[in-house]
Amino acid sequence: MGLLVGETVHQNMTRWHSVNILLGEKSKYALLLVLLISVLGSMLWTAPVQAEDELNCVLCHKFRGLSRIDESGNFRLFYINENLFMKGPHKRVNCMDCHRDIEKIPHDPAKKVNCTAECHLVEPSGKKKFSHKPVEKILEKSVHGRFDEDGKPKEYQEDYPTCKSCHEQPLYRPLSFFKGVSSGVSRRGLGRCKTCHQTGDFAEDFYNHVTSRLQKTRESKEIVEVCAKCHEDPAFQKRHGLDNVVASYKDTYHYKAIRFGSDRTADCVDCHIVYGESVHSVESMDSPTSATYKANIAQTCRNAECHHEAGEGIASYRVHVDYNNKEKNPMEYYMLKFFTGLMAVVLYFFIVVIFLELLRRLFPNFSFSSAERAEHRQSKSVTKGGE
Amino acid sequence: MQVYPKINYRGGKRYFFRFSLVQRMQHIVLFTCVITLSLTGFPLRYHDQPWAEPLYNFMGGITVAPWIHRGAGSILLGLFFFHTGYWLYLFFKHRVGRLIRDDELTVGNFFKEFFSMEMIPRAQDGRDIVAMFKYLLYFTNKPPQYNRICWKEKFDYFAPYWGIPILGPAGAALWWRDEFTQIFPGWLLNAFYIMHTDEALLAALFIFFVHWYNVHYAPEKFPLGTVFLTGYLSEADMIHEHYAEYTETMKAEGLEHEIKLQGHH
Amino acid sequence: MLNLIKTVISKLYILVLMAFTIWYGFFLYPVIFGHSADHDVEVLVSEEEHGGSFLDEAQNEEESMFDAALREQGSTATTNLGYMVVEEQYVQGHFHHVGMKVESDDTNLCLRCHGAVPHDKAKSIRAFLNMHAFYVACETCHIYPKEGASEWAFRWYNKETGDIIANPPGLTSLDKSMYGNYGAKIAPGFLKSDGNFRFLNGTKERAFVTKYLKEKDILSSTQQSKLKKIIHRNINEKPLLCDSCHTSNEDKAYLPFVQLGYPKRRMYDLTSTEVVGMIEKYQDFYMPKFLLPGEGWHEGDVEDEK
Repeated sequence: MGLLVGETVHQNMTRWHSVNILLGEKSKYALLLVLLISVLGSMLWTAPVQAEDELNCVLCHKFRGLSRIDESGNFRLFYINENLFMKGPHKRVNCMDCHRDIEKIPHDPAKKVNCTAECHLVEPSGKKKFSHKPVEKILEKSVHGRFDEDGKPKEYQEDYPTCKSCHEQPLYRPLSFFKGVSSGVSRRGLGRCKTCHQTGDFAEDFYNHVTSRLQKTRESKEIVEVCAKCHEDPAFQKRHGLDNVVASYKDTYHYKAIRFGSDRTADCVDCHIVYGESVHSVESMDSPTSATYKANIAQTCRNAECHHEAGEGIASYRVHVDYNNKEKNPMEYYMLKFFTGLMAVVLYFFIVVIFLELLRRLFPNFSFSSAERAEHRQSKSVTKGGE
Repeated sequence: MQVYPKINYRGGKRYFFRFSLVQRMQHIVLFTCVITLSLTGFPLRYHDQPWAEPLYNFMGGITVAPWIHRGAGSILLGLFFFHTGYWLYLFFKHRVGRLIRDDELTVGNFFKEFFSMEMIPRAQDGRDIVAMFKYLLYFTNKPPQYNRICWKEKFDYFAPYWGIPILGPAGAALWWRDEFTQIFPGWLLNAFYIMHTDEALLAALFIFFVHWYNVHYAPEKFPLGTVFLTGYLSEADMIHEHYAEYTETMKAEGLEHEIKLQGHH
Repeated sequence: MLNLIKTVISKLYILVLMAFTIWYGFFLYPVIFGHSADHDVEVLVSEEEHGGSFLDEAQNEEESMFDAALREQGSTATTNLGYMVVEEQYVQGHFHHVGMKVESDDTNLCLRCHGAVPHDKAKSIRAFLNMHAFYVACETCHIYPKEGASEWAFRWYNKETGDIIANPPGLTSLDKSMYGNYGAKIAPGFLKSDGNFRFLNGTKERAFVTKYLKEKDILSSTQQSKLKKIIHRNINEKPLLCDSCHTSNEDKAYLPFVQLGYPKRRMYDLTSTEVVGMIEKYQDFYMPKFLLPGEGWHEGDVEDEK
């Protein structure tokens, strides 16, 4: 092992070192030896050890095929794409900060991660340990919370979302503001930060974090897909007595523009969240504080980025129209019936006329009237005779 | 205004006058706008079809195509107003003007002149349709003898002439939705949305099949009838499509003895 | 004569137009009457395509599980970060990003029945075995030469086409996210006298499996067992074990890493103390089960071992 020189050896030694610590007890003198070698190694090669994976979990988890089928028939993939992992806020968190039940390598099946646990990171504004707990509190109060007002569990508990129902590992969406707004980290902006904040990746992380927060964390198309995961499922709609709101939304210009790559029209959270509130606070349209409560709709539409010139009239615009529902949308239903009828009558009438016209051209001189047929024969022979 | 001869001779053949330059120009503006509007509109209606996105991106994508759509729509609405002014001008100049000259201007005469304009549907159209069905269903082998504007052409004319005032203002309301809702309730936008998209669909389906059959697909027109460019129709087409007008024109031009018979295929 | 040709052409054209008119009539029907209702239609159609679903009447957990697995599509997820777009396979409940699309192995014979994630018996290491199945063909470990017979050669084959390739992309790069993701698999075979290479699972084996699958429904159940026996006759009772390749003595490794194109650095990873050492730990903890996968396994055995 010692024959190979360079970063490779150094990294592998430190890995072996940590593996051995975890495995513990077995051979103490070997541990001591390895420690000695690693210290020497660190002195010779100064490449920083990656803080987020000091236990070298990716030794195994970097392999794309690391997977199995679990007892519920689900495909469980244990692959970590390190390049992407490093592109989000969680890059500063160690694997074991979330997967806390893992105590040895190789490890048993890991338990589910509790997202609301306190991190080892310190939240800078309050100097407290960081936690996603506040999100849970907001979610509990929202229409997506699994308990009703009296604290009783709602029906169909398994339908209510957990963090992972909507969230994958978050990724930064940085913005650059030099010479107009564009996506990505501005090297010029970052250069300014780095003049003073030279330690490690602090400046870049901070830049990424803040500018990602200045826009939607996810593209509108992705947000619609997230909501559609549940709300587009017919069985789910049936269980909760909901309309197919995804289908009706997809009939609107709002969605069509998003479908073709616009980020300026409204997606689900733009209308269903009170302006400026957390996206986790969706409320039922029956709740007076809801963004979609009858009296609040106009204000929701008028939010600064959208229809800010709109009058009160906009409140009666219906976003979720079911054209097949006579009771709920009678005007739309009958208008559509009228136009469908008009189209059918006009177009099929002309299809018949044109078809008959073509058929007529196949036998241009035929007639049911025997007199006319005779007349035609005569005129034909006259022409022939004339020639 | 330029005076067009009723019959033009080219290469020893007769061509019959149909459309003046102003009319032909209006038609060019009309179909350019309609095609543009279709290409920038239907990808939205059929956004889940595989062709929608490539076509929409070709038309400029979501940042540009809506503005092309609004621009073409504005021009089309402008054409509607121009055309209305145009026929009103002709109507007052030629018909009302003559009534005034002859000092015969009464309410009755005014309406009589109005309803005698070639484009206004009349009882003769009903008789023509009956004659057509008789011919198409082989009860007779004599084709209907249409006058200058036959019932099909009237249909072709009134389709956009009722379509544009439905599509245009509805489109404008959806465009200026914020201002619109300051005065009107928002559910009107729901109604306009249906009107706009369904009337557009009807128009497109009609033009693609019925109108293009008449001027492109039909055996004697294929691949392309040229009257929309030249303004003149060949003698064979005249006999086939407007026999009543044909005989009238020939008589007026003193060519009675050269009138050909209809129905020799 | 010319007139006749003209007439025939014009009549033919009329017939074509008539056909077009009829087609247009059919084309129009869904266009006119299909608005909005087509969402519901789509759902119904896809259910039928999957040969019936329990959707409405799924009585128990098992049925809904089966149903969900049956209806699952090979869907992809797109994450647009503005400056880059991440397109990846969608795995339900998977939190971490996969970040890539993966070629499925369309050519391996065993996968046609056993699927792409076949290892399940040895609970403690099944994920590791499946990880290897991602870039090592089944027969590499499950079939090996009889004692005394000449050794086999190994080659990479392209997962999609089955063609032999040398140095698959990802193998030679040291990009960690590409480890194991070569779009290719290692499979054993023979060097023929003319110098060409022939894979162990060749034309004959392929014909066996294809024919068996095609006629399975009309075969008697006894016949099925017989044929399965014949198809599997070359499979060794015990697969090769981890230390056949992950050995600190590279020269003794069953797979010829150098010849397969592994760079020195990668080879070192495979035979390094950490990997080999870990496998030794595994032997201590779990090897009794691992040696004979599936045999004598009882739920909770692992816990006892600890």
